[in-house]
Amino acid sequence: MTIPIEALRQKKSTPYEHQPDRYPDFQDELAELERAGEIVVQKIDGDYLEVPTKFGRPKRIQKGHLWHHKSCGQCGHIPGYSTSIFWVMRKLGYDYDDPKDQTSCTAWNYYASATSNAAAQAAVAVRNFAAAYETGYFPLIHCGTSYGHYKEVRNELLHHPELRADVRKVMDKLGKPLVLPEEIVHYSEWFYAMRHEIAAKQVVDMSNVAVTVHPACHYYKLVEGDAIYDPDVYGGQRTAVVTGLAQTLGAEVREYSTWFDCCGFGFRHILVQRDFTRSFATLRKIERMKEEADPDVVLTHDTGCVTTLDKSQFAAQAHDRNVGVAVLSEAQFAALAMGAHPYKVCQLHWHSANYKPMLEKMGIDHEKAWAEFQSDLKRLENGEKRYLEWDDMD
Amino acid sequence: MAFDTVVVIGGGPGGLRAARGIAELGSPVVLLEQDERLGGTPIRENYAGLTPHATPAEPLMNEMAEAVTSNPNADVRLGTRPTALSGEPGAFTLTVAGPDGESQVECGAIVVATGFQHFDPGRETQMYGYYEFDDVIALQDLEAMLKVHEVVRPSNGEPPKQICFVQCVGSRDRHIGNEYCSKVCCGVASKEAIEVRQMLPDCKVFIFYIDMRMYGYWENEIYWTAQEKHHVQYVKGVITEVLPKGDGLIVRGEDTTMGRPMELPMDMVVLSVGMEPSAGTRDAARVLGIRPNRFGFVDAVKAPLDPVATSKEGIYACGAALGPADLEDTVSSAANAAMHAVGVVRGQSRAGAGGRQPGGPGVPGPGAGRRPARGARGDRRGGRAQVAADAGDRR
Repeated sequence: MTIPIEALRQKKSTPYEHQPDRYPDFQDELAELERAGEIVVQKIDGDYLEVPTKFGRPKRIQKGHLWHHKSCGQCGHIPGYSTSIFWVMRKLGYDYDDPKDQTSCTAWNYYASATSNAAAQAAVAVRNFAAAYETGYFPLIHCGTSYGHYKEVRNELLHHPELRADVRKVMDKLGKPLVLPEEIVHYSEWFYAMRHEIAAKQVVDMSNVAVTVHPACHYYKLVEGDAIYDPDVYGGQRTAVVTGLAQTLGAEVREYSTWFDCCGFGFRHILVQRDFTRSFATLRKIERMKEEADPDVVLTHDTGCVTTLDKSQFAAQAHDRNVGVAVLSEAQFAALAMGAHPYKVCQLHWHSANYKPMLEKMGIDHEKAWAEFQSDLKRLENGEKRYLEWDDMD
Repeated sequence: MAFDTVVVIGGGPGGLRAARGIAELGSPVVLLEQDERLGGTPIRENYAGLTPHATPAEPLMNEMAEAVTSNPNADVRLGTRPTALSGEPGAFTLTVAGPDGESQVECGAIVVATGFQHFDPGRETQMYGYYEFDDVIALQDLEAMLKVHEVVRPSNGEPPKQICFVQCVGSRDRHIGNEYCSKVCCGVASKEAIEVRQMLPDCKVFIFYIDMRMYGYWENEIYWTAQEKHHVQYVKGVITEVLPKGDGLIVRGEDTTMGRPMELPMDMVVLSVGMEPSAGTRDAARVLGIRPNRFGFVDAVKAPLDPVATSKEGIYACGAALGPADLEDTVSSAANAAMHAVGVVRGQSRAGAGGRQPGGPGVPGPGAGRRPARGARGDRRGGRAQVAADAGDRR
């Protein structure tokens, strides 16, 4: 008998095949609790696209009529991130609700072991879901941490009647139902699902742009089963969001070895060991990417990842390390591809690492764009307008 | 009408043991095996040695098969599987599909010995890059190498200098629905670790574990031997990922004893994959109408003291068809199931719940239950006489 290497290779080369009902499906539990009258399930009620998930169950992504659950960090540190999401959605002609009564999910402190308890966490999540449900718009979560956390909360609520009872008491006091949406959807899943519609409106050629992708831990390492994995992207072995969009827009996605690593944010670390965060982000992530892939831009899909990878580079630059690469969310990248203004929409001036070489590779005249932006600021300064509006963006 | 034949489904260790027992007790047995060869998973997956003593698997399985095929009471049908069942305990008609098409077997009882399959570390679950990296293999892949006495890295054919086992892959994992311990992986990994050390004395061998579950005598026979005699290094810690590094691999995780993250270069990583119900077990449950448990194994409805009874009277299950089991448990439960099945066909069975109507010989009447009714006692006497007659026939 020969060494069975060939048989092993043959076994491993068998094509991806989804086995229906192979893994537990939370949809069954949602439906059961709904039938029992314990919870309200907000259903997808508009046009939707189906995308493949890690454990095979098709996930339905509603295209429009979406309730935007925004991200604290995006709004506070990188406002062009959320603006790009809204801008793309408007350009594609999908309506949405930008609510005023959404709260923070409080998960950052939760994951940093700094605050809260299970009932409080779940009640915050359900209150936000109820707020969406009351508008009739389907929730879309901007923040990777909120997204991962809400999926954990869903898991806890489905399996612990005592937790449901605690949360129900809170919701009764608020006069709101105990609602869970049929799917918990991250904005990057929407961008992935809509990538062909986005590409159809593309006006900037991205074929000259090399990107590396940092997948956000809280997107695919928490409750991993219903994150998007596509056999056509990395052979279904890594999450397909971000990469699938970048490829569809014609960019060259380059590989690097530390893709699995955290960006350095680490929740606890950014709060109490910030030097560790800065070192990790630059030495383990950015330098590896530069050495192994030399990208024009790093694309990622979460608040903490964009800020950490972007805003850590200054410290390493001061020590002449091999850093210095633009960091964007894929929403900003898609917006740029569709012709969004780099300052008025994508607000790249909030970013720290030098993004101008990237814009030049895209053929975008950043000096002209900056002049346009300054001109708009003058209008604000002289009182002509109080703030820029969507009509000012084009 | 009652039938004296027992059908055993599955020709692995459990099925062979059950069939042998039934035949040796003098009852006709039909053994159905879907493969073209008897021996089950140890043969199909090229096991080298059986745990715990690393006794060569193939000769042992051949011996078990021979004990069945040489018995005139046994009718072995290869390439055959059940497709439908009708009738009632004592008088089943089992439709089977084989090389010559469909046929029907009349039988009084059935033993399900359809076993398990190795957890697929998977294209879906994507555990530890099994499908990404040539040098990430599973326990059974290493078994196949050990069988030919040549352990090499699949990527380059060179012997590994550093190799590790990752325990609990596909077991004790709520996310994928396998909340159970697969029982044997700790022992099998330790046995394989010893074999690697014997074959490649310069190769360092690590086992990363949550906790080692070395049942009974395995503690002394394998666990301490692996450490003290063969210097296998056990590290308490969970591996989070396997990544490429140069032409080798990096395993990353947490050393929970030391309370710190760790990264170690490896030439090969062996995933200690757990047990899942085989396709045959799932099919048998569906075809026979017996209740599976929530993991897909056959539900042992009267466990723990009657661990082979299924939800349908007259049908028994054994070994890894019931859940994770080592070989000793498998053959023990197989013998147990064989005893029950022979009891049914000889009218000795105490009927369980189910309220069957009175039938022919061997079918208990109303009221049969924990305490045998008069009719049942009569049946039992008849059964004993039958045993004696059968024994006389054999002589």
